[in-house]
Amino acid sequence: MPAVQETIDRVRKIDVDQYKYGFQTEIAMDKAPKGLSEEIIRLISAKKGEPSWMLEWRLGAYRRWLTLEVPTWARVNYPKIDFQDIHYYAAPKSTPGPTSLSDVDPELLKVYEKLGIPLREQEILAGVQKFDASELEEASDNVYKSGRVAVDAVFDSVSVVTTFKKELAQAGVIFCSISEAIREHPELVQKYLGSVVPTSDNFYATLNSAVFTDGSFVFVPKGVRCPMELSTYFRMNEKNTGQFERTLIIAEEGAYVSYLEGCTAPQRDENQLHAAVVELVALDDAEIKYSTVQNWYPGDAEGKGGIYNFVTKRGDCRGDRSKISWTQVETGSAITWKYPSCILRGDDSSGEFYSIAVSNGYQQVDSGTKMIHLGKNTSSRIISKGIAAGYSQNTYRGQVSAHRKASNARNFTNCDSLLIGDQCGAHTVPYMEAKNATAQFEHEATTSKISEDQKFYVMQRGIPEEEAIALIVNGFVKDVIQQLPMEFAVEAQKLIGISLEGSVG
Amino acid sequence: MNIHTTPQRTPAETALIDAFGERLSLLPGDGAVMLKRDDAIEAIKNGLPTRRVESWHYTDLRRLLNLNPVPDFDPAASPKAIAPVVDGSAVLPVLNGVSSAKVPDIDGVAVQRLSEKLTDGSIAPGLDSYGADDAIGALNTAFVADGYFVDIADGTELEKPVELQNLQSGGQTHVRLSVRVGAGAKATVVERQTGDGAALVSSVSQLLLGEGAQVTWLIVQEQPDTATHLAQFKAHLGKGAKLTLFVMNAGGKLVRQEVVVKTTGEGADFTLRGINLLAGDTHTDVTMVLDHTVPHTASTEVIRNVVTGKARGVFQGRINVHQYAQKTNAKMACNTLLLSDDGEFSTKPELEIFADDVVCGHGATVTEIDHDHLFYLMARGVDEKTARGLLVKAFVAEVIEELEDEAIVDALEARLDGWFVTHG
Repeated sequence: MPAVQETIDRVRKIDVDQYKYGFQTEIAMDKAPKGLSEEIIRLISAKKGEPSWMLEWRLGAYRRWLTLEVPTWARVNYPKIDFQDIHYYAAPKSTPGPTSLSDVDPELLKVYEKLGIPLREQEILAGVQKFDASELEEASDNVYKSGRVAVDAVFDSVSVVTTFKKELAQAGVIFCSISEAIREHPELVQKYLGSVVPTSDNFYATLNSAVFTDGSFVFVPKGVRCPMELSTYFRMNEKNTGQFERTLIIAEEGAYVSYLEGCTAPQRDENQLHAAVVELVALDDAEIKYSTVQNWYPGDAEGKGGIYNFVTKRGDCRGDRSKISWTQVETGSAITWKYPSCILRGDDSSGEFYSIAVSNGYQQVDSGTKMIHLGKNTSSRIISKGIAAGYSQNTYRGQVSAHRKASNARNFTNCDSLLIGDQCGAHTVPYMEAKNATAQFEHEATTSKISEDQKFYVMQRGIPEEEAIALIVNGFVKDVIQQLPMEFAVEAQKLIGISLEGSVG
Repeated sequence: MNIHTTPQRTPAETALIDAFGERLSLLPGDGAVMLKRDDAIEAIKNGLPTRRVESWHYTDLRRLLNLNPVPDFDPAASPKAIAPVVDGSAVLPVLNGVSSAKVPDIDGVAVQRLSEKLTDGSIAPGLDSYGADDAIGALNTAFVADGYFVDIADGTELEKPVELQNLQSGGQTHVRLSVRVGAGAKATVVERQTGDGAALVSSVSQLLLGEGAQVTWLIVQEQPDTATHLAQFKAHLGKGAKLTLFVMNAGGKLVRQEVVVKTTGEGADFTLRGINLLAGDTHTDVTMVLDHTVPHTASTEVIRNVVTGKARGVFQGRINVHQYAQKTNAKMACNTLLLSDDGEFSTKPELEIFADDVVCGHGATVTEIDHDHLFYLMARGVDEKTARGLLVKAFVAEVIEELEDEAIVDALEARLDGWFVTHG
């Protein structure tokens, strides 16, 4: 495809640019006109075939959104966003379900190929319907030697396909797109949607509530340990679109689920908006592990283009002894504004946040977490590693609070920053609020550069400078990498290496 | 001053603006000073800061000032002189906002009443606020009528401390204490803030340290629990200058102590040690902004807090390392003992770093008394109350003991004991 080839060639020429997912795909798209109004919301809702309560919910959020102002407290600078200049709905043109790989839009297959997804898996991803159980088994054996992963792929605004549905259904796990869940399981969606991040939460969450187009829905019933890793792959493809996905994960009493999301987008000169909302609900004794490898297009070497990533993620440890763990590796996006949080409502519940945020070029990252201790004997742990290089600004912003009745609340926070180069900035803004005498909070933060001694030690053993730095950085982030599911740990390590290329020397 | 324009004035804002109108004819100052006063009251007219202003997030001045009525000026108030913290100190008293015409002679030290510096306008440049949210600076600039200007000559080494006393007995007092320490000079300054009335006090201290000057500055704040105490300490550290600032807050109904320090010369070294003893239904906020603007400077801060009763405590510390300030070494720690379920403590230690070759860190903890420590003492027959007392005292005394001068350590520990006697 000439356009794709052109893009790839252009990328190769700019050697400071290391972004390798910057292709775009010319797929027949079905787009709503630019702009946001009640009509557009009605259109989105109609396209999705949603029930009327969902439309009302969206309209309520939209009316609320009109009264809100863009938040300005984060340490990020960007030109004002024209919310009327965005397509709020873009979907690959719907065709009857393909029956073999040859029926699938070849462009879509090329996308998967570029992303290094093996053929069998491609077949599954493209939604080829001709599977029988044995073929599925075979496919999974071939592809997922190290453990199977069910994937939900979201292309621009629409969930393209969800794999392994049948097998998950046998275990009682519901894993599908949120649009499907609204149609098929309205009682669950109605009960939990917006119960963690209410429609009035903040500017971008409210916008998302009004216009979200797709996302994943996971429901793990009582006592079930989800038999495989669940994963969503988000890709923003169409020009001038915003991606607004909504993810809702519910783990009932005693359930366990591990979920991973990955994101990429093509390289474009203009900025694109991504405003997602993720809600997690953990009931008694349930555990949810949520990992993110975020690699949206960060903009070029001059800071032009890139994704604005304004995300609201929140987990509610609603039940006693529940646990929610966030792990994130953030290497992409021009601007990142996200604070995956835990509300520790249940007694003895616990929350964790492990983060690596790497910024290079002109990226701006303002990320962190909130741990709100409400129940008794709750504990939380925050490990954040920020690496700033080039002209980037990297901020950790976090809040830990213990309310009056949160006796024996316990928190440990460690946030370290590493600076590479003297044009970048690293900032730490932690808030600690204790209203209970039995609370025990510890916070420590350090900022430094890679010491000459460390570098010398490694280089003296014959390792070139760039590799030496990658080695030291990987040691620096080890605590967090260990928290990722195995398959993704390797990928994350490579990603960090790629993000930092060109930052030395 | 305030990004949110507040259409309706609170009673406190109205009281301040009215008081300015009444006091205006009595305030000393030449044209330049009066212009600064106008700017300052303009800032107050735009509204006092609320919790939406980031640096006032935990101390909503607009709301809190209304909890107690802003007192009128009381020209009849006459606080009694008190003995200095350290025996033998040279005392420069400000009684009810008025400096003394007769001050002791100290070799190498020139003392001037601030009212004179205001009248001749020579202090005008120092009246600027340091930022858009500098409400204390604005309040003080609008109303300040007196204080001292102390000039310690180059090379002077003072044997005994100089004690600047700001004493109130009700009403409003707005005082400014300005000290310049010449190159190579050495001095210990005690800033005493106390009184016995239901007062509104604003006090701004300005310190300029010349090349290689060494100063220990002790702020001892023991206002009654009827007073609102809004204070600011600003310092510039020249090349190789060394400043040790010690802050002790042991009183006041609503207290905000701001510490604004800038290292402007290479090799400057700043040390902050603070203890906040909080009791009753009070609110105490210590906010520090430290700017490392040049290479090769160092700073360490240790703040210890004891929270009892229904007290609310705040510590905000921001260290800004500018891009040019390579080789900065900055460390900050804030430890809190929260001893009651009705008390609360909020802390926000911030690092803003634009230079890469630095070593910066901060730590913060909030906890109750360590049960192992308590057990250790009680296993040796010490009753629980005494054991707790010992541990709490040791927790804060550790900071005092870091000050090297024995006379000062003894004097401060005596004040600490005094607080423990009255607050159990």
